[in-house]
Amino acid sequence: MPPVDRVHDTVPMGYEITDGEIVVSGLTKHYKQVKAVDGLSFTVKPGRVTGFLGPNGAGKTTTLRLLLNLVTPTAGTGTIGGHRYADLADPLQHVGAVLEASSAHRGRTGRNHLRIICAAAGLPDSRADEVLELVGLAPAAKRKFKGYSLGMRQRLGIAAAMLGDPRVLILDEPANGLDPEGIRWMRDLLQKLANEGRTILVSSHLLSEMELLADDVVIIAAGKLIAQGPLEKVIAEMGDVGQVRVRTPDADKLAAALGSATVVKGDDGSLTIRGVDAAAVGEAALAAGIVLHELTTERPDLERVFLDLTAGKEAIR
Amino acid sequence: MRLIRSEFLKIRTTNVWWLFAMGALLLLALAFAINALNMHFGVLNPPPEAQQGIDAEQAAQLAALKAPAALTSYMVTSGQYFGLMFVMLIGIITITNEFYHQTATSTFLATPHRTAVIMAKTVAAGIFGALLWAVTTAITIPATIIFLNAEGVEPALGDSAVLRAIGLNLVAYVLWALIGIGIGVLIRSQVGATVTAMVVYTVGTIAVAIIIQVLVNLLHWDWIEDAQWAFPSIASGLMVSGVDLPGQPHYWIGGLILLGWAAVTGLIGTLITRTRDIS
Repeated sequence: MPPVDRVHDTVPMGYEITDGEIVVSGLTKHYKQVKAVDGLSFTVKPGRVTGFLGPNGAGKTTTLRLLLNLVTPTAGTGTIGGHRYADLADPLQHVGAVLEASSAHRGRTGRNHLRIICAAAGLPDSRADEVLELVGLAPAAKRKFKGYSLGMRQRLGIAAAMLGDPRVLILDEPANGLDPEGIRWMRDLLQKLANEGRTILVSSHLLSEMELLADDVVIIAAGKLIAQGPLEKVIAEMGDVGQVRVRTPDADKLAAALGSATVVKGDDGSLTIRGVDAAAVGEAALAAGIVLHELTTERPDLERVFLDLTAGKEAIR
Repeated sequence: MRLIRSEFLKIRTTNVWWLFAMGALLLLALAFAINALNMHFGVLNPPPEAQQGIDAEQAAQLAALKAPAALTSYMVTSGQYFGLMFVMLIGIITITNEFYHQTATSTFLATPHRTAVIMAKTVAAGIFGALLWAVTTAITIPATIIFLNAEGVEPALGDSAVLRAIGLNLVAYVLWALIGIGIGVLIRSQVGATVTAMVVYTVGTIAVAIIIQVLVNLLHWDWIEDAQWAFPSIASGLMVSGVDLPGQPHYWIGGLILLGWAAVTGLIGTLITRTRDIS
């Protein structure tokens, strides 16, 4: 495992940076039996990490593959910086993608795998060594892919995506197979890349991870858009401003002082109050002369929002 | 150009190429020995009892093979049968590896124009075929000189017919790489494509010859005998014979048939690959 400060040398190559906005418009992919993606529209802004969320089978992977010209859409378009992927002259210098961890020839070394991509993209061989250094795989560069752990394969995928120093990075479930340290490493890397002005679109079903990483979220289920926008806003718009947790020796007195608010007594002696904010609870307690031992606002977490939003949508069709 | 470099790098960075080259060279040694025995006992010094009971056409064929030019081309193109099979397998694997090892994703991300990728693969596999031909021929030429001198026959290496046979052998090595690419794009499964191709190439050649012989004997449809030349491995044998043997079509017809197979399989396969979903 590399030291975490490795993420600070991303070796920009000075390619001209164009607007890296991703625009998905009416994107649709019907297979014989299922509508994998169904009239999906959303935008992804540069300079931010956008979490692409949905239950398994929601159509996340298909959407990303449609965007990258690997799957032909039934209808609609997906553009990156205003161009379809197939129309980009040097696609790897604009867009990097990490789609699956097990995507190299088992008998080939990690370095040769990258050199083959360099050759096809017209990049110098030296880029292979630079990105291996970036992801901390330099010691395993000359080892064959079949000897790589899942985490190393994931790092090799990220290395391949970074070869062309792209403005836009698209990652499909990159946290899969990474250990906690690896996940933290990746989070730091992606946030750093976003701070450099790049567009980062990362799909995941690991909601807790996205809460730490994402600035924006796009939530889909059954191939359709459920919600999109800044993470805070999507959570807030769930209509629930949150609940207040209080600990006090005078629970009944406080409940009476709060009047119309809903007060629920927890098993551990704490009170969960809905319908008023923390400031109102504090003021009411002061006015009634009640001692408070704890007063915190509990925001609804992404997981609850996500489960609420996607409830009733069949995950697997 | 950079695509061809990338594709050739793919062949070079796995074990497959030298395993195949070694297999081809081992079988080349075997084939040369069998051909030498065949020529020694079958054509140059046939036992007297074999002379009886052969019809006029076979006798004419034997007489034609006795010519130094025919003998030289026959020996110099030894090892072709298995050499072409390995070249075909390299062509197939060049394509099917991408799906077997799921590298098609990174290949088509680097180059969204899939036709260009297949063209580059075709060229890279063709180059591999040409290299294998060069190594094979570099071995068979001195071996042929030694063998024919020992038999008391003057090797006719400068003869235009022999040079043509060597040149046509190169064409065969390249065309079979192309046929391999064609099979690979048609049958995506690595195992399916290689096994099908090997069975058709080895057993298929004999099976076609037998079936056609039976049909000719049963139905007396003599035109069926000509149908066997449409079979790619038989066509390639015809092409590289270099001389027109009695009772056979012109050698260049075999070349056209091979080219046709490569073009048709490659074209259909490319059209399928262009719209295929990669997942």
